[in-house]
Amino acid sequence: MDLVANNLSYKPDDQYHLNEVSFNFKEGNLYTILGRTLSGKTTLLKTIAGLLTPDSGEIEFDGKNFLKIPVWERNVAMVYQQFINYPHLNVFENIAFPLKQRKIDQSIIKEKVMDALKSVGLLGYENRKIQELSGGQQQRVSLARSLVKNAKILLLDEPLVNLDYKLREQLREEFKNLFSKGLADETILIYSTTDPRETMELNGEVIVLDEGKVLQVGPAKEIFENPNSLKVAEISNDPPMNIIEAKISDNQIRFEGIDVEAPQHLSKLTEDGLKIGLRSSDIELNENGHEFEVELAEISGSETLLHLKRGDTKIIVSIEEVLNFKIHDKVKINFKIDKAYAFHADGKLASSPFGGLNG
Amino acid sequence: MNFKHKYFFLFPGLFVLIGILIFPIIFVVRLSLSGWNSYNPGLDYIGLENYIRLFTDDPRFWESFFRLSFLSVTTVILQYVIGFALAHMVWKDIKFKRFFRVLFLVPMMTTPVIMTVIWRTFFHESLGPVNDLLSVFGVAPKWLTDPVIAKFTVIIVEVWQWTPFMFLLLLAGLLSLPKEPFLAAAIDGASPVRKFIYVTFPLMAPISIGAIIIRLIEASKIMDTVYVLTSGGPGTSTETSSFYIFIKGLREFQMGYAASMSFTYLIIMIISLTIIAKVLTKVLLKE
Repeated sequence: MDLVANNLSYKPDDQYHLNEVSFNFKEGNLYTILGRTLSGKTTLLKTIAGLLTPDSGEIEFDGKNFLKIPVWERNVAMVYQQFINYPHLNVFENIAFPLKQRKIDQSIIKEKVMDALKSVGLLGYENRKIQELSGGQQQRVSLARSLVKNAKILLLDEPLVNLDYKLREQLREEFKNLFSKGLADETILIYSTTDPRETMELNGEVIVLDEGKVLQVGPAKEIFENPNSLKVAEISNDPPMNIIEAKISDNQIRFEGIDVEAPQHLSKLTEDGLKIGLRSSDIELNENGHEFEVELAEISGSETLLHLKRGDTKIIVSIEEVLNFKIHDKVKINFKIDKAYAFHADGKLASSPFGGLNG
Repeated sequence: MNFKHKYFFLFPGLFVLIGILIFPIIFVVRLSLSGWNSYNPGLDYIGLENYIRLFTDDPRFWESFFRLSFLSVTTVILQYVIGFALAHMVWKDIKFKRFFRVLFLVPMMTTPVIMTVIWRTFFHESLGPVNDLLSVFGVAPKWLTDPVIAKFTVIIVEVWQWTPFMFLLLLAGLLSLPKEPFLAAAIDGASPVRKFIYVTFPLMAPISIGAIIIRLIEASKIMDTVYVLTSGGPGTSTETSSFYIFIKGLREFQMGYAASMSFTYLIIMIISLTIIAKVLTKVLLKE
């Protein structure tokens, strides 16, 4: 039972929320929709759920026209980025709600709810009021509510974004376990996120969405290694990939007075307007390196993000330790240039270190 | 913070409160213990005589009280059902939503007494337009002179006049509900009808209780409608407590006796409304 969409468009105002989106989701798979905020992720999920009707396009599920089926008969489940539950019901009643909408025996409902509570680690909380739970627990309740009905399509709309750092890590881990063992083979799981790390960890099929348009589709590894355009490279890296305007001639990459020997996969690109992309983790501090000026140094967790500048070129370097820098300090850095990407002036990928295109 | 003069600032409010609330209640209690009437005005103390008369020798008061209970409960239930239906209708995105919202409020903006005069004309048995229309079917109900039908005429007029108030409270309630549970309910497989039963109605319970209690208090004072529409008639078949107290106190000038009725009525209302509020809370909020 596949979920197939053809040219979905939705344009409620002067901007596209969905722009000719097509996909073919196969049962038993995990799909991650990666995109920045306002890229149309929620709109897409709502369209699949039936909360929104697209202006044009078709969705088919199991060979049937999905758009003609009202929301409550679609058998989808959805977890929202806000923790949506029923405020007037307790935890047990909340999770039982979808089951009570069908004619199911009380004892079976009880058994299923208890199973779901167990799988999200909330056993013993069944009589609590929703308001008495923490954010993470509330989100677990809505996850349990979506698991309990055994829906054929499970939609998760940035389920971790409103949680604090620690809980996010923990729930993400639990999600991975749930997804890998708990779900039946016929479920289509669609997970939207802004976080590239989450995408890589979930390791499913990735759809990169921007301004309502699908930019690239492929396995997480493929998106990471061979982003097909500058935009995808920006969206799928956090911090975003550094983009340096450079010129390659005589086997040298030249920018801001720096000459770096070009690696083999870049040496043949001599066109104008070439952009070199380099991840912030592929730049390191080095005594013999090139001098840059510190614009900002942020410490995030156990790593330090250095915003550096030289002439018109700005780059971000991430260092796996906590270091203190002052603004306007001079630092010396080295490029792991064999990890560099090259993009054409129009943003298309020209060459990647992982053999994309003319590697 | 310990100002010596802080109580001084309480005086204006306290003074008003004593003047308009506490003094009248105390005075009514004192008045009810007196034999004040048109021949013998004054606060002469006669003990509980008035109360003994009320509880042993005045079935008319108790009849009017039960009639009032019936009228107020019926009108409030009808107002709640109709008000909820209308509020639910304009809560959803329908065409001319704003127009309907204002339209449904029009009866509330009219003067009740004047509108009752108009209703009386409407329901006039030989000259009114209602019976004129019904004559097509060959019927002519005695809207104002049949003891049973007259009660329902009072109910119709009361419901028409006060449903907008219920509508306003319930619409405000609906508009203040969080949207998220409704999204969740649709996805969880609840059809629109089930969504109403399992989500909208329970979420509206606290507001419903408030609205019903407010309207019950108001409806227990039914007076102007009855006064203008039927003057309690035919006979005493539409007479309510407040109307009966009005007759005894301000027509027959049995001030002492009317005061004892008022005070009894006040106590009964406080007790019964407390019980109703408790029961509603238990049933609707399951607490």
